This record gives sequence, structure tokens and C-alpha cells, in this order.
Amino acid sequence: MKVLIADDEPPARTRMASLLAELGDIEIVGEAGDGRAAVEMAARVAPDLVLLDINMPSMDGFEAARHLAALAPAPAVIFCTAYDEHALAAFEANAIDYLVKPIRIERLQAALTRARRYGNALPAVLPPAAHARTHLCARVRGNLVMVPIADIVYLIAEDKYVRVHHARGEVLVEESLKALETEFEERFVRIHRNCLVAKQRLVGLVRTADERVFAHLADCAEQLEVSRRCLPALRKFVKGG
Amino acid sequence: MSDTPTPFAAKHAPAPAGAPWLPDFCSLPVLLSAMLVVELLVVAVLLAPSDETRPLLPRLGTATVFAQWLTLLCIVCLCMLRATFSRLPSWASVAAAHAILVAAVAAGSAVVFSIDQQLGLGLTLPAALGARFVLRNALLAALVGAALLRYFYVIEQWRARVRAETQARLDGLQARIRPHFLFNSMNTIASLIRAQPLAAEHAVMDLSDLFRAALGANNKPSTLAAELELAQRYLAIERLRLGERLQVDFDLAADLPRDLPVPALLLQPLVENAIHHGIQPLAEGGTVRVHAQREESGGALIRIANPRPVDSARVPSRNGVALANTRMRIEYHFGRRGALDVREGEHDFEVILRLPTP
Repeated sequence: MKVLIADDEPPARTRMASLLAELGDIEIVGEAGDGRAAVEMAARVAPDLVLLDINMPSMDGFEAARHLAALAPAPAVIFCTAYDEHALAAFEANAIDYLVKPIRIERLQAALTRARRYGNALPAVLPPAAHARTHLCARVRGNLVMVPIADIVYLIAEDKYVRVHHARGEVLVEESLKALETEFEERFVRIHRNCLVAKQRLVGLVRTADERVFAHLADCAEQLEVSRRCLPALRKFVKGG
Repeated sequence: MSDTPTPFAAKHAPAPAGAPWLPDFCSLPVLLSAMLVVELLVVAVLLAPSDETRPLLPRLGTATVFAQWLTLLCIVCLCMLRATFSRLPSWASVAAAHAILVAAVAAGSAVVFSIDQQLGLGLTLPAALGARFVLRNALLAALVGAALLRYFYVIEQWRARVRAETQARLDGLQARIRPHFLFNSMNTIASLIRAQPLAAEHAVMDLSDLFRAALGANNKPSTLAAELELAQRYLAIERLRLGERLQVDFDLAADLPRDLPVPALLLQPLVENAIHHGIQPLAEGGTVRVHAQREESGGALIRIANPRPVDSARVPSRNGVALANTRMRIEYHFGRRGALDVREGEHDFEVILRLPTP
């Protein structure tokens, strides 16, 4: 079985690796120091199982599990944490198992047995997360690309995709603009039926000679048209900010 | 954070029998409230319908001088005898205080009566009624004295309760090392035992010191040097756990007032915050700075700084609560001269503590 270890603490990774070595029939295909690296690595090495710490920088274990579930094939996930305040959330996230540190080798073995039996056969239907994600996940020529939400400038709906314009380029994600608007309500504001912009980057509104209104965004040369319908709410927002 | 119900409840109970509860009669507030109560009584007595042949104001003047003189006499007696009384059981100390009060008033009245008779001023009662004058004043003193003692008792009880509550809250705050830290540390130690037994041994000792301080330091104030040492031990464990991600810059001035008394476990929670909110959420990690220097007044100035992730990656904050707690402890321990200031930058966060000499 191919296993990926994700934990931000080097000694914790070392210990997990040595426990796995004792159990045998395990190939450690990678170690990651945070959630984002774990998802990127999983997309490359296609592990059967990811041992996922919950408290990690960049992206926590729960969010990483959501992104992992969207991979094809999706790996099985076992959460590991130091303190079991997250047990319930882990079950809701359809984890195969949930281990508390310091991990006992017998518990680890039982969890691996479950993972072998069920694999990723558990339904990968994730409940809506309590927290908004910190990254969006996209495929570019077969490679996985993670875009931090903080880097996103604006989002444009295109057919059944959404084009994400971010600080270092643009990617397509297979999500609906409406769902993104709901999830990241705090961060984006709608300026048009097909467009959301980052509130932080919205500098002002520009009216042209032919009575059309455009949103002016910081660090963005693009002219984005504001629809008549969104204009009153947007005016209020610009004034308030 | 565990307030076990038993000690908490015990602190709310009334002071145990025998504990001195008598107010400090030598203090100005006690003296002033006694004088005020007596003066109100004098006015009340004079306003009551009685012999109206003499004008009110001169009578008020005479009665005030007499009553206040007796009050001072009583308070001085009680002030001198308080230490002796406090050794008695609670009820006996009250009874003794009351008896002294009555005796002082009776003796004072007798002296005033005899002086009045000698000088023939006629301010008290006719010569034949000397015994009645003394007895009447003693009785009044007994009634007023009982009411006053009861009043002081209630006030003292109330203060004791406020003190106990504050203490209980502080105790609760003190045992406040995050459980995550304990289990992560245990995991670190488990991973070190085989590969680096010496490092594991040190980690066990550091962890023991931390928990000894968190669990046992309830009432003893600590010293600045001990608190800085504890913060260093904490950082040593976190350094094992976080590896290269945690850099520590610990800089203590040579002339630091090392023996300065400070509340126990004052610095460790702040350093823990610096890691929890500053280093942990950053994939690349950063440096925690602890700088301590001597102030001109002889106190200490301590700065604890850490980098800070951008908004989106910030840990949902308990930080404000922890800071408010520490601020309260500093206020409780140092009064107004101590201070906790926070400097929040875009990418860094700094807590500045001013700890004055007592």
C-alpha cells in the first residue's frame, strides 16, 4: 500500500515513518509539511492512503481532505491529531479512521486494515465545510494547481466553469459562481451576473461617456463592467469601505 | 483550564472560625466611618422631642465633642488591642472588642461627669444622677457598638469574598497550558526516544518543569529569572517539535532585575501565544523574539515579538482573551504601575510588558 504522511512536525513524521516500517507491506511515497503540499504531492504520486494531521499551516487537514476527495482516484484518509476535540468533524469528513498522538502501533495497524478493506470505497461526498476553504483547486494540463483564496482578483463564470483570475495568472475550476459567492461571502462581491471581485482590491467605480460603469481593481488592468442590477449595492459597498 | 469544584467552593465559604476578621481599627476609613455613625446618632438623639428649654446648636456642639471624644477613645483602645484579640476565636474576639468598647465609654463618661461636677458647668446631669449618666452612656455604646461591629463584619466578609473570587479566577487562568501542547510534546518525545535518547531526556525534564509550574504555583509569586527560564524551557520543547520553522532570539540584559517578584506563569502563555498564532500557521515559520531589559526605575521591560500570518491564515483567536487575562494578572499584582501593551503590525505582533519594582 502506498502511503503519504502529512504533518507539520518533523519528529511526528519520523515517528509515523518508523511505526509504518515496523508494520511492513507499506511503501511511504512521500512526506508533506502542510496541507497544501500534501494535496499537491498526492496528485503527483497517487497514494492509496494519506495519513493527515489536522493542525497544519497553509491548509488544515480537513480542507486538505476535501481537496483529496476530489482527486481521481481519491486516496483513503486517516486523520491524526494530538487532541481529540476534532473526532466528530473527522467522522463527518468520511475519514476511514481517526488516530490520537502519540499513536499506538496496534491502533495504527487496525486503521491500516480498515483502509485496506474499504480503500476509497467510502462515499467521497463531503458535507459542506464549516469554514470556507483557503485554496481553490484546479487542473492545468493534468497537473494540480492550488490557488490561495487571498490571491484571487476576480472570478468570471464561463459555461459550467469559473475562470479564476489570480495574482499569477488564471485557471479554470469546475464549480458554480453562486456556490463560490456563498462560500466566500466575506471576501468577494458581485458586480455582474457572471462576475465576482475581491472586496479588498475594489478601489472604485468609473463611469464612461456612454453611461456604462466599470469596476476599478488594484493591480488589475482589466475593465470589468458593473451591471445595472448590482450597481446600487456596489455603490453602497464602495462608500462604506 | 480546570477549576475543580472543591477548592473553588471552599473559597466562597465564610472565613473559618478563628480567622481574624476584626477590621483594622488603626486605619483611617474605619475611624472615619465610626465617627460619622456616632455623629448621625448624636443628631438623631438631639432632634428627638425632649427638653426644649436650651437652644439646639450649643447642645449639639457639646454632645458632638463628648461623643466624638468617646469614639476616639474606643478606637484607640481597639487599635492597640486588635493584635491580642485576633488570637482569640472569632466569637471571643468580637465579644472582647464589644466589652472594651462599652468599658471605655463607661470610664470616659465617669471621668467627664466628675470633671463637670468639679467645674460646676452643668453640662451633664445633676450630681445625684452620676451613676445613671454612666450607665446610660454605656448602654448606648453597647447598642451602637454592636451595630458598628456588625457593619464592619459584613464589609470585611464582602471584601474577603471579592479577594477569594479574584484569586480563584487567577488560579483557573494559571493552569492554562494548551492540551495540544502536552500531547504533541509526548509525541515528540516518543519519536526521539530511540534515535536521540539524550534529547528525549531533556524534553522530559523541560516538560516536567513546565507542568510543575502550571499545576503547583498557585499562591507563590515567582521571580523574573524563574519565569524567563520557564519560557526558555517551553521554547526548547517547541523547537524540537517545529524544527527549523521556529527560530528563537532570546536576549536578556546583563543588569536585569532577576529577583523581581512577578506572578507565576506570567510569560509562558505569552510565548505560547506567539507560537500558536505566529509560527504555527506559517509554513515557512519565523522567529520568536524575547527581549528583556532593565528600566531606569529598577523594574523590567519585556518584549515578546512574533511574525504574523496574513488575515486569511490567522488562527481563530483566543489571543484577545489570553492577553486580557495576563493584563488582569499584571494589574492585580503590580497595580497601576504595571502595564501590558500590544503593538500590532501588518506582518508582526509584539507584546510589551512593564513590570515595576514592588
